[in-house]
Amino acid sequence: MSKIIGAVEIGTSKAKALIGEVAENGVLNVVGMASRPNEGMRKGEIVDFRKAAAAVHSALEDAEKMSGTTVDEVYLAQTGSHLKGNMLRGSASVASSDNRVDVSDLQRAAEEAKRRKPDEGRTYVHHIRTPILLDGRIVQDPVGMFGSKVDLGYWSIDGDDHAIKQALHVISNYSLEVKDLILSSIASSTMMAGPDLRRAGTLVIDMGAGVTDFALYRQGFVACTGVIPVGGDHVTGDLSMGLRVLEPYAEKLKIEHGKAIADPIDEGEDIWIIGNKTIGDRSIPRKAITDVIHVRIAELFEIMSKELEGLLDPDELKGGILLTGGGSLLPGVEQIATKILGFTARRASFPSGIDPELAQPENATVLGLLHYGLEDHGLPGRIKEEVETGFLGKFRKMVGLGAQV
Amino acid sequence: MTIKKSKKQDAQSGNWKKLAPKSSRRPASKAALRKRLLGASKFLVLFFLLGVVGCVVWFFQERSQEDSGPLDITGTGAPISKLMFVTDGVLHKRWFENWFGPLRGRTLMDLDIKEIQTELKQESQISFVRVSRQFPATLKIEIKERMPILRLCLRSKTKGEQTWLVSTDGSLYLGTCYSNASLVHLPFLNIQPELLRLSSNGEGYEKLGGISAVAPLLEIARRDYPGFYQNWQVVSYERPHDDDPGAHIHIKSGKVRNLRFAPQHFATQLRRLKYLLMESDFRRTPVVESIDLSHDRSVFAKLSP
Repeated sequence: MSKIIGAVEIGTSKAKALIGEVAENGVLNVVGMASRPNEGMRKGEIVDFRKAAAAVHSALEDAEKMSGTTVDEVYLAQTGSHLKGNMLRGSASVASSDNRVDVSDLQRAAEEAKRRKPDEGRTYVHHIRTPILLDGRIVQDPVGMFGSKVDLGYWSIDGDDHAIKQALHVISNYSLEVKDLILSSIASSTMMAGPDLRRAGTLVIDMGAGVTDFALYRQGFVACTGVIPVGGDHVTGDLSMGLRVLEPYAEKLKIEHGKAIADPIDEGEDIWIIGNKTIGDRSIPRKAITDVIHVRIAELFEIMSKELEGLLDPDELKGGILLTGGGSLLPGVEQIATKILGFTARRASFPSGIDPELAQPENATVLGLLHYGLEDHGLPGRIKEEVETGFLGKFRKMVGLGAQV
Repeated sequence: MTIKKSKKQDAQSGNWKKLAPKSSRRPASKAALRKRLLGASKFLVLFFLLGVVGCVVWFFQERSQEDSGPLDITGTGAPISKLMFVTDGVLHKRWFENWFGPLRGRTLMDLDIKEIQTELKQESQISFVRVSRQFPATLKIEIKERMPILRLCLRSKTKGEQTWLVSTDGSLYLGTCYSNASLVHLPFLNIQPELLRLSSNGEGYEKLGGISAVAPLLEIARRDYPGFYQNWQVVSYERPHDDDPGAHIHIKSGKVRNLRFAPQHFATQLRRLKYLLMESDFRRTPVVESIDLSHDRSVFAKLSP
């Protein structure tokens, strides 16, 4: 029987909901998608609960209508400057007398790694496993192998309790449960960077409206993630202030005429702000628009460069830099990224088989949520839990029947 | 294997799930309100359906406990107060009451009139029967009986000598309710034993094939020439079919000991017999040995020596 799963991204400019149907053969079909403008967020954090909830709920309702079904739980993307990542490491001695590694050894190492508590008022959002070391050697699945010590680590992201609660409340208010919280940058990386690129080493940068998320992959595993509180909205704000125009016009100028790097052919070209040349409309040089955008985008990559200082090793980053998110559509952004970060940057492309309407950079996160959720991220050898969904599953859960995991 | 995480473990590991709200707050949007109403209506419909199913089960359970036998759809009817018995023969109302049993206290709807009709029809003396209800309390029986034209004496090892009656269609039956006076004038039938065949139930005999050819002769004689008829004692026939040149009906009687008729034109033959017996020679003779009327215009007669 097919399974229905949902994904929600509460973005700074838009709330997006996606409903997918996982067929018996594991193929994911997107059966419903909707997005609604979100006025309840600033820099990736909810500042107006009711507005954010209205946007998310409307998107979910539209997606459910489009798919002709309902969802019971969703994967929720997490972003915001409150998120901080730390590497947690744990190790365990192999317990069996014949030195054969067992699942319980891995579990002990995992518990050891996760033992460290986050600071007061903060909660872990996402633990992303790093390579497993068996006696200092990287192995994919040590269960059944001989050795004396297992080491494993987690790139663990913790966030502010209040911000996480707000996001969870938005979903529970629509009578849904959150199946898992997934970091936005990890979700979009799952979608845009395939396993080969991740093994080669790549930096995925998701340029959103409020924040820019990034995830650095080395040898197929996450080495670092981060959120920079600079996004497309800041560019719009800069244009509004710098050119002294209202924000809607600034947004229009950014989308229609914005470039991140100066182009000689734009020299001398003037752009009408409103566009109808009526009273109040005025023209500004296109170069002025480009200059304002360039400053902000360059600043963004410089901040990122500082955050990743020491991690950008040419031998570990053969896959280069992938840009995604709505901000990556700005012409010239790849050149600035390449120049400042020192690695070839390019706009990420979606894998084949995705509907062209869906395959837009701004949808990378929400599509990635479903794909990440379908993958098994547990420890090797551990049985993946099967949770009953649907009305019967809900009923059984309510009356206390069935397995609890 | 199932692993159940305790709340304590969750709290220790800093799991975000502990931050999930325990109960939903007031809906923050119209979409959330619609979703909750839809969910609530689904549960209401489910409980309503469960309630309906429960009520139906309870109702049938109660009914099955109350049910003490077949459902009575006849209602309370008045007992049968009158029996109308209509027949063209000799059977009468008392015969029916003896045959059926007491009707007292029974209503019209208590009776299975189809069954009564079928059983009456199985009586060999009855050729047609119709049973009907005349509400409020009258049972009507209409029957037509077979008319006997001959008697047949049969002797069996078990039942001894029995007199059977032969009707115009050749049926044999043991007559009921006939007076001796009505049967005493009927001639006897003399028949070859091999022409008698037992009926399938073993209680009677199958119809005699040639009687339908003989019956008109007896009917004309009884009606138009009672003087001859009352002297006819034994009737026999051989191959009494029109197309058989040797077919004839043989009658033994008082004055003319042997009469022979062809199986057609009975009125002509009887008229001829009448004229013949009016002849002076025949009138003077007390007993005539034989008269053969079966040869069309020629009559052969033999006076007693």
